[in-house]
Amino acid sequence: MTAGALARRRSFPVLLGLVMVVAAIALVEVLIRVGLINRFIVPLPSQIGASFERVIVEEGIPERFWLTLREAFWATLLLSVFGVGIGVLLHRFRILRLATETWVAAFASAPTVLMYPLFLVIFGRSANTIIMMGFVAGLAPVILKTVEGLASTRRVLIDVGRSFKLTPSQLYWKIYFPAALPSIFVGIKLGMIFALINIVGVEFLINFGGLGQLINELAERYDLPGTYAAICFVILVSVLFFIITERLERWLRPVN
Amino acid sequence: MAETGQLTHPALAMPAVSRVTVLRVAILATILVVWEAVAASGLLFRDVVPSLWVIGRAVANLLVENDFYWHLGVTAGEIGIGLVIGGTAGLVVGIVLGGSRFLSRAFEHYLYYLGPTPKIIFFPVMIMWFGVGPGSKVAMGTISCFFPIALSVAAGMRQIDDVLIRVGRSFRANTWQMVTKIYLPAMRAPIVNGVRLGLGVAIIGTLLAETKLSNRGVGFLIINSYSTFNMPRMYSLLIVVFVLSIGVNTLVSRLGNLDAVKTR
Amino acid sequence: MSSVTPFKRGDQSSVRSSTAEPILVVENITKRFETPDGVLTAVEGVSLTVAPGEFLGVIGPSGCGKSTLFNVIGGLTGGYDGRVSVAGETISGPHQSIGMVFQEESTFPWRTVIDNVAFPLEIAGMSKAARYEKARHFVNLVGLDGFERRYPAELSGGMRQRVSMARTLASEPKILLMDEPFAALDEQTRLLLGDKVLQIQQQLQQTTLLITHNITEAVQLSDRVLVMTYRPGKVKRIVDIDLPRPRTSEIVSSEAFGHYVAQIWSDLREEASRGMHDDEARTRHAGEKHA
Repeated sequence: MTAGALARRRSFPVLLGLVMVVAAIALVEVLIRVGLINRFIVPLPSQIGASFERVIVEEGIPERFWLTLREAFWATLLLSVFGVGIGVLLHRFRILRLATETWVAAFASAPTVLMYPLFLVIFGRSANTIIMMGFVAGLAPVILKTVEGLASTRRVLIDVGRSFKLTPSQLYWKIYFPAALPSIFVGIKLGMIFALINIVGVEFLINFGGLGQLINELAERYDLPGTYAAICFVILVSVLFFIITERLERWLRPVN
Repeated sequence: MAETGQLTHPALAMPAVSRVTVLRVAILATILVVWEAVAASGLLFRDVVPSLWVIGRAVANLLVENDFYWHLGVTAGEIGIGLVIGGTAGLVVGIVLGGSRFLSRAFEHYLYYLGPTPKIIFFPVMIMWFGVGPGSKVAMGTISCFFPIALSVAAGMRQIDDVLIRVGRSFRANTWQMVTKIYLPAMRAPIVNGVRLGLGVAIIGTLLAETKLSNRGVGFLIINSYSTFNMPRMYSLLIVVFVLSIGVNTLVSRLGNLDAVKTR
Repeated sequence: MSSVTPFKRGDQSSVRSSTAEPILVVENITKRFETPDGVLTAVEGVSLTVAPGEFLGVIGPSGCGKSTLFNVIGGLTGGYDGRVSVAGETISGPHQSIGMVFQEESTFPWRTVIDNVAFPLEIAGMSKAARYEKARHFVNLVGLDGFERRYPAELSGGMRQRVSMARTLASEPKILLMDEPFAALDEQTRLLLGDKVLQIQQQLQQTTLLITHNITEAVQLSDRVLVMTYRPGKVKRIVDIDLPRPRTSEIVSSEAFGHYVAQIWSDLREEASRGMHDDEARTRHAGEKHA
């Protein structure tokens, strides 16, 4: 099979999938117009599409996007610094790790976002609440991945360091840390994703902030096409964010 | 790090209580002491950090309150139904996508990229479609757990040893038999893992929906205690939710491991 | 660490005579391990000496404690009976006069070739320019000139081992200690790298102790070969390899070479088969335990 034919064969299912999704949307449009689906519950897809521009311009999508991004940035910074720091601490002092690793793992699976009313009381209805919620949500995976990366440093590399009489601090900076960097980045990527999910979610819940808040506001105004459009927009941003972090990870680990 | 070949120093070997336990107790004790100190000092304004005694009383009060168990039942029911619906749908879609490379390439990346989006933003739509009652909460739980389960099952399908599938085909098993006698048993680990993840996000999704718009359920109780500024009650609710959530998570993991050990 | 000047060692007298003051003295090393199945004696009463500039090969069957000996001499393992001394000085723990080359992949994957080789110099605090110039010399020595800016992942297994070797040589150890560095490579690459090692050793007059299980390699490279018994590892015999120097890999086809190989194999065969029987007995026993 020629290279061209092979490429076409691989992209055919993708295209078919896309076509089917578009067809499904078109079907919904028809069903609504015909009256089989209540147009006050599901607005016309064409209407949703039309409201995109309105929403972008009138509701200040760029500013909101920027605000959400800033919150995500601060949360990521916090969870990177504290996550890696705590992870190094846990690895350096084995007894500490033995004592607390299961706690961190449990914390990772706990519904931390439910604490948002508590954070509201502590930080008020402000960006700080949102940033802290993002930080708390993304912290555990960074800690766990940092410890995992440091612990899985190949024994022979440590032996090389020992054979050259490295001090413990030199061992850490010149061998453990570089060896663990790929794992640490995976942890930060996971942390970023958890943080963003929680940030947008909390923005929606407390009706403050950027993109998440927009959905809430439009819903409370009963602007149905606008609400759907805003949701689509948030999905788009989330997907893009996810793709970028994946590309970043692949770029940072070129040779395996 | 050098191997000594000798026994560890006698002073370090504490047979009765391990050093780890001692450290854990020490850490917890420190946290509790610091908490109480902050509570007593009045650094943060009064009720944000209530005294441990007050929190303890609130927890006790909560656990003897009949209403609480009713609300807990409502939430558990919503989560349960959401898990069943979302889980079944996820299982079916996962098997279909995992079993066909064509379909997988056509549709799976939609699931993959929609997975890490915050599902709570769909809540207004769920309210439109299912009303302000438990329906919308169940819907939230459903869409939350659908994605991790579908993706986990699809991946699990692809990892099934090809030989097992050919054995099934050679005995001319029909689709239902293939699924129940070959696919599902072979995928025990990914299914349990997917369910564990799905349960986690279903709990979060349902509870968040309850905090946003509801008049029943544990989420409602939490946001209610916020609006009445009953901090001890909020703490007690959060503690109970966290304990239950971690407990359920551990239980599911254990169940998954038990299965794995049996099949070895 | 000496400054950047000729790297050829000062003149050292003929290596073959054992009357030269030995630079490495290993006295009566006994090392035991605690295992779930009881106390295991890895090596027992092992003594050896290495003269300056000499190449000593240590060969033995799997399970003869070669790697334990390697770790003991290199100072990575403690808790043994006996003494290891370099130039009269007893050592405990890693020592800068002993350079180790490990069996496994040991290049730092996140550093380029030149940064890998310059590592010991960096630790010693040498300035960037100085250590790069010195490292470049050793990169050339192992025949990897042109590859300085490459990453280990871009190189073959044999090339990576050469990087590890260059890195250890850059620290200019009095004694080079190698633990089966070519174990993971195919036979042809081993022979060619053996050539390289011979070249380097001759040029630097580097005192070397090579641990291997490959008889051809041991005879090709060594001035003397020490044969170890199966566990507990003791010294079975020391064979003088009286082949002319300088040598190349062509020596493997000579008659004298074949002679030495046969001699060492007859010693090893008995030990190797003891090892095999022991393995089988252990596996059978383990199976019975779980039945």
